[in-house]
Amino acid sequence: MRNDYLWDGSGEPDPEVQRLEQLLREFRSERPAPRLQPRVPRSAIAAGFVLAAAGAWLLSGGAPESWQVAHAGARPSRLVVGQTLETGAGGHATMNVGDVGMIDVEANSRLRLERARKNEQRISLEHGLIHAFIWAQPRTFVVDTPSAVATDLGCYYTLEVGRDGSGLVSVLAGWVSFAHDGRESFIPAGAACRTRPGHGPGTPYREQASPAFRQALQEFDFGRGGDTALAIVLAEATKDDAFTLWHLLARCEPSQESRVYDALAALVPPPEGVTREGILRGDRRMRDRWWDRLGLGGAGWWRRLEGKWPADAK
Amino acid sequence: MSAAPVVSISDDAELARAARHGNRAAFGRLYERYSRMVHGILLARVPHGEVDDLVHDVFLSAMRQLSSLRDDGAFGGWLAMIARNRAHDYHRRARDYIELPENLPASDRHSPDALAALEAICALPAAYRETLMLRLVEGMTGDEIALRTGLTAASVRVNLHRGMKQLRQKLNCEAGS
Repeated sequence: MRNDYLWDGSGEPDPEVQRLEQLLREFRSERPAPRLQPRVPRSAIAAGFVLAAAGAWLLSGGAPESWQVAHAGARPSRLVVGQTLETGAGGHATMNVGDVGMIDVEANSRLRLERARKNEQRISLEHGLIHAFIWAQPRTFVVDTPSAVATDLGCYYTLEVGRDGSGLVSVLAGWVSFAHDGRESFIPAGAACRTRPGHGPGTPYREQASPAFRQALQEFDFGRGGDTALAIVLAEATKDDAFTLWHLLARCEPSQESRVYDALAALVPPPEGVTREGILRGDRRMRDRWWDRLGLGGAGWWRRLEGKWPADAK
Repeated sequence: MSAAPVVSISDDAELARAARHGNRAAFGRLYERYSRMVHGILLARVPHGEVDDLVHDVFLSAMRQLSSLRDDGAFGGWLAMIARNRAHDYHRRARDYIELPENLPASDRHSPDALAALEAICALPAAYRETLMLRLVEGMTGDEIALRTGLTAASVRVNLHRGMKQLRQKLNCEAGS
């Protein structure tokens, strides 16, 4: 609509609207891009929050290798490399990961800041639950857990570590790598992956996969499920579970590989040039090409980043 | 008043789709495009000193829930709903908190006239104050408000004109008293 100043500023100016625009301009949002600063509620009940190591100081001091911490009912502080943050029952904290992201730390969590450098932000999560939201380059933000290392390859995920050292990562956006002792899982958005002390990461799975599928996969990865569990996984798998079967190709016993190949081929036929013989002998190039067919994005960028593959775990 | 950026729903749908698949740049673009809308919606509902923190919360919530968005083309309306819910949640939780004095060291840097105008808009019915915040504070055009929030242009026009009429009456009343 033209000539309607209230509508779009066109036509004859309305003095009252102009005056209000001028007055109210100072309340305008001027944020140009995501710069998610930690939230510091002005009115809140103090929650159980402890900086276990001495030496936390107020924001005004600053430190080169540290993260800013906000928590309910208190002024912002900093967590310096080497220090431990512990949230008690009902506690909660939000931390800036340098200027590349933020993490929310839930109650009853304990973590230590290991690195706070531009190209490496690293914590160890002893136990508890964190939500990580990262917009840095892939592999900048790393979380050590007692049974695996979680490396951010994407945007947003939740990581829970039990007091027994077991872990569960759930990815809401982007990708996460879960790795231990040469065994690595790539977990896309909508998927999760468990880890156990002594085993390392299990096979990633879709969170909407059938309960029978998830239970059998857990038995296969960490229990004594063997052939029986594998049979259930293969029978229950849908096309959306193809990435799980793709990971299994590199993890199952040689005697099971043919069955996994057949099940995966039935869901997502291998592209031209990818042969049964090549896959079964562990041809990386062929596995890469089959991955590309799964519709989860090309595999090439993983190689450029680090060159590690689940296939290397064999 | 600055011209509204040339955008379309299909652009935003593409960005929402890409963001859902972990594209950081796409999420950043959505933030740039929608932060004014979220800011204005919150400003119409919560104390202005809390708005910046809550904008942050709204985008985090959106990121967490992006996989549940059924129609990428409806991203704006969906995000607006998250912002309104977050404001509602703010008031619900605020009842459980200990209220601190208003005159904390971080005193208000805004002019009395600006605060009075803001207060007058906040006293209007919700639909009017939200639309007027987006127009008068955030500088969005009527078309842009409709595009971003998912409201029809006709609804936005009604809200703007009726809201402005009530606002004039309120301001004149206050000036006369």
